Amino acid sequence: MKDQINHLENEAREDLARIDSAEMAEAFRIAYLGKKGKLTELFKQLGTVAPEEKKSVGAELNRLKQWLEASVETAKQEAPQQVSGKETFDGSLPGIRPSSGSIHLLQQTIQEISTIFNRMGFEIVEGPEIETEFHNFTALNIPLDHPSRDAFDTFYTTHGQLLRSQTSTVQIRVMQNRKPPLKIIAPGRVYRPDTVDASHSFMFHQIEGLMVDDAVTFSDLKGVLHVFLRALFGSETKIRFRPHFFPFTEPSVEVDIQWGKGWLEILGAGSVDPNVFDEVKYDKSVVRGFAFGLGVERIAMLRHGITDIRHFFENDLRFLKQFS
Amino acid sequence: MKISTNWLKDFVELAPPLSRIAERLTLAGLEVKKCEQLSNPQDTIFEIEITSNRPDWLSHWGVAREIAAVENISHKNPVIDPDLARTPPPPGWKIKIKDVDGCPYYTGVLIEGITETKPPDFIVERLLACGIRSVNLIVDITNYVLLEVGQPLHAFDADLVRDKEIQLRKAKVGEKFLAINGAEIELKADDLVVADSDRAIALAGVMGGKESEISDRTRNVFLESAFFDPGRVRKTSRWHQLASESSYRFERRVDPEAVDIGRQRALALIRKYAKPRHISAVIKAGEKPQLAIKTIHLRSEEIKQVLGIEIKPNQVALILGRLGLDVKQHALGSWKVGIPSFRPDLTRPVDLVEELARIYGYENIPETLPQRAPISVGENPRLSLEQKLRYLLSGIGLSEAVTFSLVSDDGLDPEKDLKQAVQIVNPLHHGLHWMRPTLVTSLLTVIQKNINAGADSVPVFEIANIYRMPDVHKHPVEERVCAMALYGKKAVQTWLDAARAVTFYDLKGIVETVLASCGCVDLCAAKAAKSYFDTTASEEVRIWQTPVAFLGKVGAGLLKQWGIKEPVYYAEISLEKLLQHVARIRKFKEWPRYPAIDRDLSLVVRESVSCGDLMAEIRGMGKGLICEVVLFDLFRGKRVPEGYKNLAFRIIYQSPDRTLISDEIQKLHDSIAQTLVQKYQAAFQNGK
Repeated sequence: MKDQINHLENEAREDLARIDSAEMAEAFRIAYLGKKGKLTELFKQLGTVAPEEKKSVGAELNRLKQWLEASVETAKQEAPQQVSGKETFDGSLPGIRPSSGSIHLLQQTIQEISTIFNRMGFEIVEGPEIETEFHNFTALNIPLDHPSRDAFDTFYTTHGQLLRSQTSTVQIRVMQNRKPPLKIIAPGRVYRPDTVDASHSFMFHQIEGLMVDDAVTFSDLKGVLHVFLRALFGSETKIRFRPHFFPFTEPSVEVDIQWGKGWLEILGAGSVDPNVFDEVKYDKSVVRGFAFGLGVERIAMLRHGITDIRHFFENDLRFLKQFS
Repeated sequence: MKISTNWLKDFVELAPPLSRIAERLTLAGLEVKKCEQLSNPQDTIFEIEITSNRPDWLSHWGVAREIAAVENISHKNPVIDPDLARTPPPPGWKIKIKDVDGCPYYTGVLIEGITETKPPDFIVERLLACGIRSVNLIVDITNYVLLEVGQPLHAFDADLVRDKEIQLRKAKVGEKFLAINGAEIELKADDLVVADSDRAIALAGVMGGKESEISDRTRNVFLESAFFDPGRVRKTSRWHQLASESSYRFERRVDPEAVDIGRQRALALIRKYAKPRHISAVIKAGEKPQLAIKTIHLRSEEIKQVLGIEIKPNQVALILGRLGLDVKQHALGSWKVGIPSFRPDLTRPVDLVEELARIYGYENIPETLPQRAPISVGENPRLSLEQKLRYLLSGIGLSEAVTFSLVSDDGLDPEKDLKQAVQIVNPLHHGLHWMRPTLVTSLLTVIQKNINAGADSVPVFEIANIYRMPDVHKHPVEERVCAMALYGKKAVQTWLDAARAVTFYDLKGIVETVLASCGCVDLCAAKAAKSYFDTTASEEVRIWQTPVAFLGKVGAGLLKQWGIKEPVYYAEISLEKLLQHVARIRKFKEWPRYPAIDRDLSLVVRESVSCGDLMAEIRGMGKGLICEVVLFDLFRGKRVPEGYKNLAFRIIYQSPDRTLISDEIQKLHDSIAQTLVQKYQAAFQNGK
């Protein structure tokens, strides 16, 4: 009997070594441990063993059974998965994506521009959207009854305030509250009663920049804007500075970037007009400054090839998620 | 404005190609937007854009002057008919200026016996090239002079001016005026009018009157050339919504010297082409207004300080001279610069610096970076918070919207929502006359539009201001909020997971996640009373008793109004308030090192019992040994009687300083269960 047990054990060892799939492991299990398995047959013969040997043979058989069971289990686990049975692994099934949203393209653009200026030492500040005549016009050297105001048509509230038509108001607020030197940029919403079409909206976003100290020059303005525009549009960007008029800067400039064969106006800027310094009670004989303002929608439209400004405010998820 | 280059050639030489001149003008600040080719006759039209500070460019002569300055060449002046001293002034005609502020200077001549009425081809063609249609010879000549010299003129049929009297006066209250374009206007008291002895015959500088209009039968003409106050013309033009080529120039200020030049130019053309029998001497009233500042003292340091470069003294004098300024050396590196009458925009040294830079060329000014040491840049905590929320919310599936701050009153309660709201007096679109007091209606519109576009799940947020005016004597308050709205499916169905509709608790979980991301975990809730919520499903979230957020199910009425059929859940977090609770630096908290014991507790309670109360109660009885209470199941029906619900809690017991003994915890757990049963008339369901 003990010989039979040893023989079976050796046979099983050889068979085990050949198992390379879960199916073979199962067949092995049936061959040894099944109802008519080789080991089961030996157990059946236990009754024929002499009583004095029964205990030791029984123990041997049990040891062999445990070893076989453990071996089958191990073999099944170690067998390659693709042949593991009814379920076949299919790596081409689509992945389950976690639901994800998006940050609005205008906010991404504001953030990107802010970061560029931030790196150049400009602090990001904000100001109110509901403003006074003083901050939106008077302090910016825009006389009440003057054609220069035509460009700044404005919404008024029932209590005589207005919705700022430009973020330049923030310059005034900051200069009223702080002493130079100043290096700020101010992003935010602005409002003008323009009829909405593909390129106009009665609400849009601007970013205003201001630098004031005792030595900054028009040359510095050119340098800073050039660094900025190259950071935003790429280091090959061609830039053109063109004289213009803004009531709150002198000299004033419009900046174009080369776009295809032509030039596209991208921002307005200039040296802070001495009258503005007067309004905020800075000593205009000592302080120098430059300011600039740019339209966020315009820049985003150019960079991303968007031809209708209304996309920004319709918030169609098919639009929003393209920029996630 | 359209500029004919053929016409320019009357005054200045244009060295080809014209595109080069267009570019040079653009780079000098006189922007040529477009060059258009005309045939028959051949001409190139510059479409120019003129900034409001340069009315002197609003004519061919003015543009020619600029070209001469930029190109450093000479230019000619218009051919004029000098005032004739020999002819007597028109007998019986008088000009009475009764409003000197409105009209400081007025001139006129009487032209009698016109024999020709057909305009010559070149006038018709040039006007047409600039976008003005031919009317008749006299009117065409006034338009021609306007485009050539920049001085608006007006011609009256002299026989229709009563009593040969021209008055410049304020309008009478209620006075009526029939404008040349057919508009009947009721004048207001500060309108400046040109009147005869009886009635207004022109709205000064803005538009002539129908009743004294030149017609083909007109033989005698009274020709007006004047200076009208820019502010007054602008007010009248805007008030009556009447704009003309004439008002456009007067409100920007015409050159006082051009009042005479324009008239004399017109007379030269009239004499030549209308062949009148007689032209009177000019009659004048008032004085030409003078520039307030006629001389500016410029120092070379100023140029350096503003621009950052030196321009050589001889170059300074040369450039300013080219612009028609009268430059006199005052001292070394210092000049007295005389300003001509057509440049009222030059009043300060810095204005001259800009002129220098313009002609010197902005492209020739080098680029530098600021020399001063960098300023340390502070953080803007609110913007940092906003940015963090943007990343968080977009990361968990919400898309950021940007909607208009102006809303209509649709869906808003006049008492609860609009009482303190800020109102716009001149709204432009569909009754959008409120600065929004909440973002709920804006986000409903976003959801509605996306449903119409076929979306079955719309999770959105927006970070923007809400506005209110608690005190009408103070400036309105703006508060930055983060609004969120959920609609439709929480998740789309995939081959692994089933779809499920969003619930109030999804939004609540998002609000909790947002607050937790700011280190705010000690939250408590109260009822949120908002007009736009379903009264039974809303909550206000507080941190240390400060309300920082509210959320709820949008009411059925609103959904119906927006045509939305499935529930919408809306939340608003006040960032100003949240900011006061944001933990900037979070302190490390050691977690208990001793093993935890879980025990489940399944209770059947009345529907009216709130889960929050139960959980608070459980914690309260935990003797400091409960580290967490989790609701892991909630069900109704089957074995649970109607009006009741089954809540299944998992209570995690853990002590910071010792290993808990199973018996001890079982005792505590049982006592908690007993208390709840008594207090809430609860029953166990499969309780352990």
